[in-house]
Amino acid sequence: MEWRHEAAGSGAIGRLLVVFRCVVVIAFAILAAAFWRVQVDLHPQYLERAGSNHQRERPLRAPRGVVFDRDGRVMVEDRDALNLSLVPARVQDVERALDLLARVTGVDRADLRAAFRRRRQDSPHRPIVLIRDASRAQVAAVVARRAELPGVVVEPTPVRSYPGATLAAHWFGYVGEVTAAQLAAAGGTRLRQGHIVGQSGVELSYNRLLMGVDGTRHVVVDSTEREIGTIGEEPPIAGRQLRLTIDSDVQRATEEAFHDAGFDGAAVLLDPQTGEVLALVSLPSYDPNAFARGIDGDTLDALNRNRLSPLHNRALQGRYPPGSTFKAAVAVAALEEGVITPDYTVRCDGGAHHYGRYHRCHARHGVVDLEAAIERSCNTYFYALGARLDVDQIHRWATALGLGELSGVDLPFEARGLVPSRAWKRERSAEPWYPGETISVAIGQGQVGVTPMSLAVMMSSLVNGGRRITPRVLREFHDGVGWRPAPGSPPARDLQLRPETLSVVKRGLWRVVNGAGTGRRGRIPGRDVLGKTGTAQVISRAGRATALAATPGTGSSPRTLQDHGWFVFAAPADDPQIAGVVFAEHADHGYLAAPIARHALNTFFAKREGRELPPLPPAAPATPHRPQPRAPEAVDPLVIGGD
Amino acid sequence: MLDRRHLRTVDWRLVTAVALLAGLGLAMIYSATYDPTSGRVGSEFGRQVAALAIGLAAGVACLAIDYRTLADQWRFAFGALSVLLAYTLLFGDEVGGGRRWIDLGPTSVQPSEFARPAMALALAALYTRSPGWPRPASDWLIGGALVAVPFLLIAWEPDLGTAVTLLPVYVVVMVFAGLRLRTLAACAVVGLLLAPVVWAYGLEEYQRSRLVTFLVPESDPLEAGYQQIQARITVGAGGLTGRGFLQGTQNRYDFLPAAHNDFIFSVLAEEQGFLGVVVTLGLYLFVIFRSLNAARVARDRTGTYLVVGIMAGFSFQVLYNVAMSAGLAPVKGLTLPLLSYGGSSIVATLMGFGLVLNVGMRRFTN
Repeated sequence: MEWRHEAAGSGAIGRLLVVFRCVVVIAFAILAAAFWRVQVDLHPQYLERAGSNHQRERPLRAPRGVVFDRDGRVMVEDRDALNLSLVPARVQDVERALDLLARVTGVDRADLRAAFRRRRQDSPHRPIVLIRDASRAQVAAVVARRAELPGVVVEPTPVRSYPGATLAAHWFGYVGEVTAAQLAAAGGTRLRQGHIVGQSGVELSYNRLLMGVDGTRHVVVDSTEREIGTIGEEPPIAGRQLRLTIDSDVQRATEEAFHDAGFDGAAVLLDPQTGEVLALVSLPSYDPNAFARGIDGDTLDALNRNRLSPLHNRALQGRYPPGSTFKAAVAVAALEEGVITPDYTVRCDGGAHHYGRYHRCHARHGVVDLEAAIERSCNTYFYALGARLDVDQIHRWATALGLGELSGVDLPFEARGLVPSRAWKRERSAEPWYPGETISVAIGQGQVGVTPMSLAVMMSSLVNGGRRITPRVLREFHDGVGWRPAPGSPPARDLQLRPETLSVVKRGLWRVVNGAGTGRRGRIPGRDVLGKTGTAQVISRAGRATALAATPGTGSSPRTLQDHGWFVFAAPADDPQIAGVVFAEHADHGYLAAPIARHALNTFFAKREGRELPPLPPAAPATPHRPQPRAPEAVDPLVIGGD
Repeated sequence: MLDRRHLRTVDWRLVTAVALLAGLGLAMIYSATYDPTSGRVGSEFGRQVAALAIGLAAGVACLAIDYRTLADQWRFAFGALSVLLAYTLLFGDEVGGGRRWIDLGPTSVQPSEFARPAMALALAALYTRSPGWPRPASDWLIGGALVAVPFLLIAWEPDLGTAVTLLPVYVVVMVFAGLRLRTLAACAVVGLLLAPVVWAYGLEEYQRSRLVTFLVPESDPLEAGYQQIQARITVGAGGLTGRGFLQGTQNRYDFLPAAHNDFIFSVLAEEQGFLGVVVTLGLYLFVIFRSLNAARVARDRTGTYLVVGIMAGFSFQVLYNVAMSAGLAPVKGLTLPLLSYGGSSIVATLMGFGLVLNVGMRRFTN
C-alpha cells in the first residue's frame, strides 16, 4: 500500500506529533508546579489539617474531691457508676435493640428512644448514653444477653455520691452540667461544655478546689469517628479533698430533733469563738444524689413546684421577722447609746400608750428591769426603749451584731435581712420615718426581717465578748501533699461593746432558760444555757381572721397560717463553745423550738466529752399544749396585731 | 500472525514503563485498601491482580492480530460497543442513580471504559478509508456522528465525565487527519458561546452542583466539596518526601473517599510525596512519548491515527485525574489509567497499549 501519509504528508504528521508532545509536556509541567505548591509550599497547613482530621482529644474526667466532716467521715465522694450506652454502628436494627433493652432493664421504651434521638446526629461509633447510673440488676441483665445486644456497652463513669442522702443537703449543695451562664462567666478557660460543676452549697463555693483538672486521651479516629487507637494520655488530676467544719453527729441529731418535733425549718450551730459552723439545717431537704445522676425533668419540676420549697436554703436565704429574739439587739442598742442603765425599770400593766396608740403586752409583768424584761420577754419594757431610741440607733447596733447584713459565710446565695432605718425608708417611699414605727421594731416586728444565719452570728457576738465573727464551713483542704488550713476568713471584728452591756444581756438570756423565762425547755442542768425565744408572725390577726373565714369549717387555724418559732441560744454561759439558732416553721410558739436546740446541745456536749450520744427524748405531745402560765409569750404577736 | 521478528520489534521500554506503572498501582491499591485495625488488605488487591492478568491476555490479543485486520473490522467493534452501551442503559446495575455497569455474576463490566480504544480504532479506519485531501466537511460530520453514538449513550447513563473523554480522541484524530486548526478554533468559539445554553439545559442538577462546588469548594463542605477538600489535604500532607508507605493518615483512616480508584494518585502523593509524584508523572510522560513514537514510525495513516487517538484519550485521562486528585479539577468518576483500581479500566487500557505496540512493531511489515 503506497498511500502512506500522503494526505497530510509525513512532515505534517511529524509537526503535529511535536505539537502533541509539547502540549503534554506543558500540561505535565503545570501539574508538577501545582503539586509543588500544594505539597511543598502549603505543606505545613495541610499537614495540620490532616492531623486535626484524624486526631481527637477525649476528656478523662477528673474525679471531684472527697468531702469529709470535721472528724474525717466521708460526706461526699465520687462513685464509679455504670452507664448503659448504645453504639449505633454496631446495631443493625436500632428499634429492636431498644425494645429488647427496655424489656430486660424495665426502663420505659419511650425514654430510651428519647435519649437515643437526642444524640442520633452524632457519629455512629460514639456511644449514646441510654441509661445513666444503671442498677446492678440492669447491668447484669444486659451482660447476660450480650449476644442479643451487640451494640450495648457498659461505660464506667464517676458520679457524685452523697452517702447521707438528705443529710445536710443544703450544706453540700449539688452538682450539675455547667450552664451557659457559668461557661460565659468562667471565660472559657477552665470550664468546657459538658463539665459537671457545683450548682449550690459547698459544691459551688469550693468548685474550683473540688473540680480537679480533666485529663486528655489523644486518640486516632477514622472518617466515621471510629476509634482506632490511643496515641497519648495526660491523666486527670483529682479534685482537692475538703474537710468541713460540719459535725455530722450534731447535724444528724438536729435534723432528727426537727423530724421528731414534726417541724420543718432551719438551724445553724456554730462555734462562737471561731465561726466554724457545726451544723446547718434546712428542712424539708432533698436528695442531692438525684442531681448527680442527671436529674430528670419531672423530679426537678416536683422539687421546684413543691410548696415547701425543699431546694430553698432556709438557714441562709429565708427572711423572717425575728420577733422577740430581736430584743437582745435592742437591749444592746439602748445600753450602748446610753438611753438607759441596766437598772432602768418600767412598770408593765399589760401594755402602754405610745404615740397615741395602745401597744399590748402578753401579760402584766409589774415593775421589770432590763434583765427581767429579757427573761419574761416583756413587750411593755421594750416599747419604752423603742420610744427612747431612734430607729437609726437600733439599726446601728443590730447591724453591728450582724442582723440585716450578710454573714459572709463561704456558702453561696446568702440573702440579706432587713433592719429598717431612716435612710432605708427615704429610699423606699416619700414618707419620713414615723417614731411610732420604732415601737414595733423594738420588739422585732414591723419591717424587720432576718435570716437564721444572721441570728446565729448575733448570738455569737453577744456571748464571745462582743466580737463579730464570720461563719466558716471549710476547715482545711488537702493540696495533694498535706492538709492546709482553709483560706483565711476576715479576722473577728471587735464591736467595742462595754463589758457591762454584755454581762447584763447575758444574765437576761441565762434567766430566759434557767429562770422564769420562755426558754426553759432548752435548759440542760449544769450547762448554763443562754437563750431567747421568739415568734415570727406569719399573718396579722386581722389577716388570719380573713383567711379563716375564707376556709370555713376547719375549726383551728391551718398549719400554714401558724406563726414560726425561734430559739437562739449559746452554752455554756462562762465559756461559750456553741451558739446558734433554731427556726421551727409554723411551730406557733418559740418555746417549741427550744427542745430541738436542747437535743443538739446535748449531742454536742456528749460528743465533746466522749460520752455516748444521747437518744432522742421521748416524743413530745402531738398537739402543743399551753405552757406554764408564767411563760405566756405565745400570745404576744397576736396581741400586737395590726401593722 | 505473531512471529519472532515481531517480538524483536516490540517496544520493550514502553512495556517496561507500563508494567512499572501497573505495579505502582498495585502497591497503592494495597495501601489504600489496607485495614490498620485488622492488618488485612482489601479484596480489591487480588481482584486487581486478576484484572491485570485478564488485561495482559486482552492486550496480547490486541497485539497479536495485525491492527489493519482489526481496523477492517471497525464496524464490528463500533457495533459491539453501541450494543453493550445500549444494554447497559437498559439493563445495567443501578448504582447511585446511574446505570453504568453490566453485572456478570462474580464481577461486573463498565462498557464505557472500552469506548476510547474502540472509537480510536473506528475513527482511524474511517479517516484512512477516504484519502481525499483536503477532506470534505462531510468527513468530519460522519466522524462526529460516529462519536456521538457512544457519547450520548454514556452521557445518558449518566456519566458525562467518561463521555467527555471521547472528545480528545475525536479532535486529535481529526487534526491528524487534516482538520485545519483554524476550523478547530472556530468550533471552540462556537462551543464557548453554547456553554451557557448547555449549562441551563444540558446538565443535570448534580453536575451543575459539582461544577459550582469545584469553583467554591467551601460552598458544600460535606458533599462533593468534601472530596475535593480532603483530596487537597491528602496531597498537601505528603510534603516533599511523603509520609511513607501505609503511613498516610488521610488514606489510612478513610478520610479520602474512593481512595483506591478515582483518588489513587492522592494516596501516592500523600505517602510518596512530591518526589513520588514527579517520578510517576515522569513515567507517564515516558509512556506517552514512547507511544507517540509508534505513531511517528507507523507504516500507514491507520496506525498513526490509531495511536494518537488512543494516546489522546489516555493523556487526557491522566492529566484530568491527576489534577482532580489534588483538588485542582472538579470531581468526576474518572480513573487514573494503570494506577486506579478497576477491572474494566485496566483491561481497556492494556488493550489500548496492545494496539499501540501492535502499530509500533508492525512498522516494517506489509
